Amino acid sequence: MYQFNFTPVFHNLPKLFTGALLTLAISSLAILLGFAVGVVCALLRTNGPKPLRALVSIYVEAVRNTPFLVQLFIVYFALPTVGIRLTAVEAGIVAMVANLGAYAAEIVRAGIDAVHRLQIEAGAALGMSRLQILRHVVLPPAIEAVYPSLTSQFILMMLASSLLSAISVGELTGVAQLLDSLTFRSFEIYFVVGVLYVLITLVMKAAFQAIGFASFKRWRRLGGANLVFAPLQRFRRLLTNGRSA
Amino acid sequence: MFGQFGWHALTLLLIAARWTVLLSALAFALGGLAGFAVALLRTAPSPVSRTLTAAYIEIVQGTPVLILLFVAYFGVALIGIDVPPLLAASIALTIFSSAYLGEIWRGAIDSIAQSQWEASESLGMTRWQQLRHIILPQAFRISLPPTVGFLVQLIKNTSVTSLISLVELTREGQLIANATFRPLPAFVAVALIYFVLCFPLSRFSQSLESRLHVGRQS
Amino acid sequence: MSVVRAESVSKRFGELTVLSDVSFDVPKGRVTVIIGRSGSGKSTMLRCINGLEEINGGNLEVLGHSLPLPPKALRALRVEVGMVFQSYNLFPHMTTEENVMIAPRIVKGAGRAEARQVAHRVLDQVGLGDKRDAMPEQLSGGQQQRVAIARSLAMQPQLMLFDEVTSALDPELTGEVLRVIGALAREGMTMVLVTHEMGFAKNVATEVLFMHNGRIWESGPPDTLFSSPRTPELQQFLNAGELRE
Repeated sequence: MYQFNFTPVFHNLPKLFTGALLTLAISSLAILLGFAVGVVCALLRTNGPKPLRALVSIYVEAVRNTPFLVQLFIVYFALPTVGIRLTAVEAGIVAMVANLGAYAAEIVRAGIDAVHRLQIEAGAALGMSRLQILRHVVLPPAIEAVYPSLTSQFILMMLASSLLSAISVGELTGVAQLLDSLTFRSFEIYFVVGVLYVLITLVMKAAFQAIGFASFKRWRRLGGANLVFAPLQRFRRLLTNGRSA
Repeated sequence: MFGQFGWHALTLLLIAARWTVLLSALAFALGGLAGFAVALLRTAPSPVSRTLTAAYIEIVQGTPVLILLFVAYFGVALIGIDVPPLLAASIALTIFSSAYLGEIWRGAIDSIAQSQWEASESLGMTRWQQLRHIILPQAFRISLPPTVGFLVQLIKNTSVTSLISLVELTREGQLIANATFRPLPAFVAVALIYFVLCFPLSRFSQSLESRLHVGRQS
Repeated sequence: MSVVRAESVSKRFGELTVLSDVSFDVPKGRVTVIIGRSGSGKSTMLRCINGLEEINGGNLEVLGHSLPLPPKALRALRVEVGMVFQSYNLFPHMTTEENVMIAPRIVKGAGRAEARQVAHRVLDQVGLGDKRDAMPEQLSGGQQQRVAIARSLAMQPQLMLFDEVTSALDPELTGEVLRVIGALAREGMTMVLVTHEMGFAKNVATEVLFMHNGRIWESGPPDTLFSSPRTPELQQFLNAGELRE
């Protein structure tokens, strides 16, 4: 019978936390840059000249219909053959930004499309320039509308960062593989790492809630404290199944 | 670029792609059955059932596929047998699918208006009768676009199984890249094959989505 | 025997008391109309009669059964009590005929041929015999509501409940629905209606209950109630013009 032994795992928690920190650092950077790329692409797709629109479409479809792992391999292993040599971490971040950018572009585009034409016309009637309209009338409600999809995608990207271990980046999964080779307590290690990822996911969800609360005035005005305690509300609703009394 | 690469390599890739397709279909089918149960449990009257299922979904969705894969691989190894990568991959991807499909279908069921539940309840139907005749037929239509969309996700996620040495499309690509010292054509070819598999499905999902909204003029 | 007997019924939604000390009696073959402002508790009272809401205090007897009932008994009761909703709630994925046939088939176990016969009869009764194969979205609001009435009639109930069934309809369409309900009343169906249609109440109701703040504020035959309100609240309600002539 296999003897479960979690001690080696717990002895190495500091190493795992270091890995987790790297996961968070890389993910945060990728999220910021990927979001920026996404917004720019979404704007190009909805307001840009025809050839640029087509280019963005091709980029988005290419990324969304191929696996992230393959994209990662192309950036790290294939690009050097055309002269672009990146370190593992650099390659990881580039691949993540390219991947997230495409998804964010599509999500933000849907948000932009959802902004009613009448709003834009009102802005124009007030004498706003095209850029001002985009910045003040279109983008804020667009991003607020797609915020849940967007933050879901961000979390998916953080989870995908686990694949950076395949090119020897020392993020959480990379550390796990190292510990596996040192202690051979494979199941225990990956089980604990799984739990750590779930915790990171929960922390990120809470962080995104807080950011949304800070950024969207409507949340503050309409939801008040409710939105900060949204997870608790959801739990309550779970128990009563949304039915009254 | 494809000069030395040739048809031989392409053939190898296409043969390896069999496993990609097989694994996707298997995980989709088994995960679909499990996901259906998950969706029903998630919307059941019992709060225990709902909470436990919600926790299951939250945990699986909060874990990277790679970790699910390792846990399945090393978990099965605990019972002492030599684990074929295909088995571990099937288990991991089935669990993955059950959580995501369960959540998608739960969303579809929840989107059916409370009034449909009340009308059928007022006619004296049992909960099973309500689900079978009134709720699920309507939820099915709504769930089609995201379900097809998930299939695309699943096909892409099979690439992760290359990391436990399952010789599917991505792994074959790695092997060829290493053998020919030409990673660019190798991985681009791999990407193209995935694209050919996924793009039509993505398009199909989008057309289902637009047809759904045209049909729903209230 | 009373079809519905309520004694000091009370109901809370959390902290909010929606019904308090409601007592009334609906004898067989009579038509009771409940009027009142929104929030007066009238719809809630109706929904308590077929068990969609549970009472918190007092006695409520429907067809001799004391509510609340366990699930199986409640379903059996619902076969005898038909309910028609403000928003018709037809099943959108079924034709008119299928909508009417489904409950007799799966709840009462009728065979397909028998259910179809009943469906044709009740659809003729509401004047929609020629719309058997139409989908709900192809019908007007008034037609959909009449199908909803037919759907309940197909179960051959002893009591029919109508919850503001014309409130969502354009004025031109209410007439056809009220005619059907009036015909049912003349045939001796016991009914409780929540409605704003004063003219209908005057012609068809045997008793009118005016509800206010969760209580029965006034009750009596329609002529006296409408022409000589005893309380200022009813006077205000009648003056406010919420009722349609």
